[in-house]
Amino acid sequence: MKNNVSRWLFLAFMLTGAAALSGCWDIKDINHRSLPIVMGVKETAGTYQVLLLIPDASPSQTNVKIISQTGSTINEILDQIDKNMENKVDLLHLKVILFERSVAEKGLSQSIESFMRSRDISNKTLTAISEGALEPLFEKLKSSSSNGGMEIYDFFEKNAGWSPEVVQTRIWEVFRSMNSFTRDVVIPTIKPGHTTTIESTGAAMIKNGKMVGVIDSEETLLYNLFKGAGTQGKIEVMHRATVKIVADRLTRSSVMREGSAMMIGRLHLKVTVLETVGDPTVAEIKKEIDEQLSTRLQAMLRTAQSKEADILGLGQLYRDKLSRENLRQWRSKYYPFMKIEFKVHVIVQDGGLLKIKS
Amino acid sequence: MLLPAFLKSRQARDMDLFLHSLYLAEEPVVLAGYTSLIDLPQTIVMLRQLALNADDAGKPLFDRDSGVGTPLREPGEQEVLDALAAGDALICSESGDRWLRLVPVGRTLSRALESPTTENVLRGAISAFNEDLDTNVGLVKKHMSSDMLRIRSYTLGLSQRRKTVLLYAEGKIREPLLRSIVQKLETLPDRDISDLQALSAFFGFSKWSPITRFNTSELPQEAAFALEHGKAVLLLDRFPFALVLPSLLSDMFVSQNDRNFPVIIMFSFRILRILGVLVNVLLPGLYVALVSVNPEVLRIEIALSIAGSREGVPYPSLVETLLLLLVLELTLESAIRLPKTIGPTITMVGGIILGQAVVQAKLVSNVLIIILAASTIANFTVIGFQNATALRLYKYLLLVLSAMFGVLGLFIGIVVICAYFSYGNTFGIPYLSRWKAGRRYG
Repeated sequence: MKNNVSRWLFLAFMLTGAAALSGCWDIKDINHRSLPIVMGVKETAGTYQVLLLIPDASPSQTNVKIISQTGSTINEILDQIDKNMENKVDLLHLKVILFERSVAEKGLSQSIESFMRSRDISNKTLTAISEGALEPLFEKLKSSSSNGGMEIYDFFEKNAGWSPEVVQTRIWEVFRSMNSFTRDVVIPTIKPGHTTTIESTGAAMIKNGKMVGVIDSEETLLYNLFKGAGTQGKIEVMHRATVKIVADRLTRSSVMREGSAMMIGRLHLKVTVLETVGDPTVAEIKKEIDEQLSTRLQAMLRTAQSKEADILGLGQLYRDKLSRENLRQWRSKYYPFMKIEFKVHVIVQDGGLLKIKS
Repeated sequence: MLLPAFLKSRQARDMDLFLHSLYLAEEPVVLAGYTSLIDLPQTIVMLRQLALNADDAGKPLFDRDSGVGTPLREPGEQEVLDALAAGDALICSESGDRWLRLVPVGRTLSRALESPTTENVLRGAISAFNEDLDTNVGLVKKHMSSDMLRIRSYTLGLSQRRKTVLLYAEGKIREPLLRSIVQKLETLPDRDISDLQALSAFFGFSKWSPITRFNTSELPQEAAFALEHGKAVLLLDRFPFALVLPSLLSDMFVSQNDRNFPVIIMFSFRILRILGVLVNVLLPGLYVALVSVNPEVLRIEIALSIAGSREGVPYPSLVETLLLLLVLELTLESAIRLPKTIGPTITMVGGIILGQAVVQAKLVSNVLIIILAASTIANFTVIGFQNATALRLYKYLLLVLSAMFGVLGLFIGIVVICAYFSYGNTFGIPYLSRWKAGRRYG
């Protein structure tokens, strides 16, 4: 009997303990939270300005509002916004962080570090750089929004509007490049479009968190191919034909020869012909694709090498061949002088629904 | 001893006790019995015929082999009353020194065989058990015509003598299980077995456990299936369900009737039922967890649409969910009490008034209505009403834990429920075990 009583007491104690220690009174329901989708960061004369694109939760949910605030750090600004908003600003669902180009050129280290540090911003939030000022882009996003400001997220989303000429770069990847000896990153650049909401203009090369140059959309496609992220992309063969990449596979082998890095890359493409100009043979198409992609890659690599930005992450392949001391100097000592022998092996899978000369 | 006098005095208290004087084989006798249990005219016709037969054969009426009934030798008052209460008739000579107990023509006090009322059968035998014990035993025998079937009868209770029949298949049932059941049945209970709670206490099962220790079924073929697979079946008089021991988790999902369908359909039914249980138990808790504590798990589109639907709802999601759940439980409970003729009314009231108006009044969000409707529908995919009611209870544990700790709390709740399930056992057979005839347990 006594045992029974003590058991009940223990149970009651556990229940009150669970209720009292859970802190569930601090929980805010979803309709009392503001869920910004896009955050814009710009910097003018040493002070940051943050813009937030927040969908207005209402049963019809078509409204979007833009909130902006200035301050010396991003977290101070967010705190200010939170203080003035009727809801709690919750960055859990932040999808895209937009930097103004000038911020990127000055260096993203401080803001990226603070994003990585914070518990509520997801590490897989996408980054992008705005070519021009942020305000017109945000106004465009707001005016063309019909879906609670989801357009820019859909633009980057792989199961929605993503195309292989657009890079997806997450903040953890930028953070990684800031701390890695052998890997840099590119961040997509966008601007408000004329007829569409957003226009993609290529990507920015980021070295140690600083923007050092740009690559165009064609080179971005190649970058995606190199990363293994781009299939079903369209590619133009200069004068003879237009082909579509159906499948791609990249094999790489790296060697250190007499103290300089050397790489052999083979890209295997399966393509289907979409359009021909004149009457090219399969062999001609193959040759043109090989030549065009190889020159484009060499050109992109040269630009990147001149800026010492290892955007393709080629240094990763030499991690087991160089000492840590040497890896520290990868960007300055080895990467600029690296040679790459790149060949594209093409299989023309078919000529669309028409026949093609072999 | 003047027993007829004693019976006469008894007659003043029992209005349906009759003492009918008549001549059988030229001998004056008194026929005694309850009119409420015995069809008197038919019994007299039968008696006359039996007495005539005995007379023709030259046997005295009160003789053991007269074929009329069993002679009682110097019966006591209690013995006489027990015989009468059991529905038998007694013949007593004028002088009151010779007694005969016989089986009379009884009144029909049970309904005819009907289709089941709590379980539906789509493909399979449709007749169900009713209140008459002999009919029920007969039904099981019909469904399991095997010489392995053993039937043991017990009478349980102190003042109310309740007939209980234990059925099992010799050679198939696990011996320790049979031994523990028989051992329990053979110890005399110190109270009446008027309901399953009392029976459960008699068997020594936990009083507070929501896990049912008897798998009840209205269908003779389910009982026969259980017997063939080495389980024990208990039939109680005036209880139109078979009690199958032991009860296992798989009884929620597996019905013998499934086997009348192709195997692939049988398995899809079972998967559907498992999904139904998960949906029923998890959905309300998941809603509260995702809406209040962990909205980052949702996709942004759903997050926005739920946030929009909750705009203007005054209560936190836990209170909102509890409110609507309360109304739903009331609907379920009242649907049982309602006469069949006004059953559709509650459907209309529940559907239109609660569904539409509650949302328009902004008391709850319309996403919650969808969630709770799905959860309630899923509740009844489970086999057996006793299992469905137990599931209704677990959902509240998950709900409260989710409200406090979010998705983590939901998982803690699942672990707690699983642990509780694995703790449950019937006569040493774990609730979570997979039943196989002839396997050793414990």
